[in-house]
Amino acid sequence: MAEDKDELLRELSDAVVDMDEDRAVTAAQAVITSGIDAYEGIEKGLADGMERAGQLFEEEEYFIPELLICSDAMYAGLEVLKPHLKVNPEGEKAKIVIGVVEGDTHDIGKNIVKIMLETAGYELIDLGRDVPPADFVRKAIEVEAKIIAAGTLMTTTMDGMGEIISILERENKRQLFQVIVGGGPISQAFAEKIGADAYAKNATDAVRKVRRLLEPDTVV
Amino acid sequence: MLSPKERLLAKLTGEKTDRPPVICTGGMMNAAIIDIMKTTGHTLPAAHSDAALMADLAGDVYNSTGFENIGIPFCLTVEAEVLGSEVNYGTLACEPKITKEIFPSAGVVETREIDAMLNDGRIGTIVEAAGILAKRYPDVPIIGNLTGPVSTAASLVDPTTLLKEYRKRPADCHRVMDYVTELLIGFACRLVENGATLIAIGDPTATGEILGPKMFHDFAVPYLNRIIAALHYRNIPVIVHICGNMNTVRPQIPEIGANAISTDALVNLRQLKADYPQLTTMGNVSTFLLELGTAAQVAEQTGRLVADGVDIISPACGLSTSTSLELIRAMTGMVKAGCHA
Repeated sequence: MAEDKDELLRELSDAVVDMDEDRAVTAAQAVITSGIDAYEGIEKGLADGMERAGQLFEEEEYFIPELLICSDAMYAGLEVLKPHLKVNPEGEKAKIVIGVVEGDTHDIGKNIVKIMLETAGYELIDLGRDVPPADFVRKAIEVEAKIIAAGTLMTTTMDGMGEIISILERENKRQLFQVIVGGGPISQAFAEKIGADAYAKNATDAVRKVRRLLEPDTVV
Repeated sequence: MLSPKERLLAKLTGEKTDRPPVICTGGMMNAAIIDIMKTTGHTLPAAHSDAALMADLAGDVYNSTGFENIGIPFCLTVEAEVLGSEVNYGTLACEPKITKEIFPSAGVVETREIDAMLNDGRIGTIVEAAGILAKRYPDVPIIGNLTGPVSTAASLVDPTTLLKEYRKRPADCHRVMDYVTELLIGFACRLVENGATLIAIGDPTATGEILGPKMFHDFAVPYLNRIIAALHYRNIPVIVHICGNMNTVRPQIPEIGANAISTDALVNLRQLKADYPQLTTMGNVSTFLLELGTAAQVAEQTGRLVADGVDIISPACGLSTSTSLELIRAMTGMVKAGCHA
């Protein structure tokens, strides 16, 4: 049984890595029928697969198209497993408000970061693309988010990120949120210059940095 | 003494020149900064859709920055709009953007007649502006800018879906690429017929980081080359700008038949030239520095690029509209002063 279970979880994980939506659904159904806990299926199957896909992305074996198709397989499996979840296995998830700053309508990178952060167990509130700085702040206050994540692909819109932090400071809300920034033209130096709490160079780095911001004691 | 047009054309055909030209192509890399527009009163967003105003603003940029070219248009949305996607013209400080791609998937793209589209949207405006500028500035190269084929396709079809379909439905994607490439060739030819000296293509979605080497090979290189071939057939030089660090697609860069390859700030152009001596390199003064640095820093970096033998000096990427004119002049002044050093 233990061997079967490991094998099934591995199959679920492999289906994600292999970008195979149908296989992910079949494997997720097999997980349920063999009595494996749905949460374990998500964590050790689907999330594990996404983490491996993220690793391949970091190693430049996979690129954005591959990662997007992996995530489709992951979400397809998730649809099967979700109804079988016992409520709140880990208590409340930390909330992250994410969006692409105003002026930029490219959201592929943001979508990838969102997928990876969701997979890592956070609750994402997606503001979409072309988001005015004030909307990041308004939403973060409304949902009591821990983190504001802002991205852009365009040099011409980088200033919007600094504006988010200026608004937080003006409204005396800076200490309530951690701000993480990323995207093509953004660098560690730019993040420091505008006073952001972290810079993520890609989606897997975003997960690492968010973990570090939220659980500074548990992450090395 | 070479005119700006003679110098750039000489450089693009591989001839030696007294010094590198210093240019800013226009399009996604335009220098229509707030500083200039506030002074002259020729402003965006109005100039995006008015040929006379566009020509005036392009002339202002030329007259005030020291760049040795004139570039139009000032956005990456002309093609997308003609293809039917929804465009917001932005503001004085914020460039136009595509608010909604018209098709959700490459599989459902309905094509229209190219000739009909060439009379549609703002294509006529840009072509007319090229004509005005060519007459007004006969010694200055007029650069017509195209949005590259991958970026154009990604503004016709929802980009997240398109990227997946590059892998899952390649035949549908090639059909879409064929379609946008024919439109781009038609647009470029109109520009050239009406006085554009050369064409620059910026394709920000076609990067190694996004596509990876295989998709770049299948969907970026062949379509870029098709546009380049159509223009070379008319004896028109082409500059291609590649965004990102290029690491994974580097070996494919020499396969692009452009007269010059312009790169982002992350790329070491001296090394690129050492690896591929046949390339005419262009770039790559940091736009970050041009916005937030000092004149001395900009001059130093520009000087280093000239010393490294970069063939054409240019900003590395799109300029922020809040870039200061003083820093742009520090860059162009440095290149021109280098001539007498």
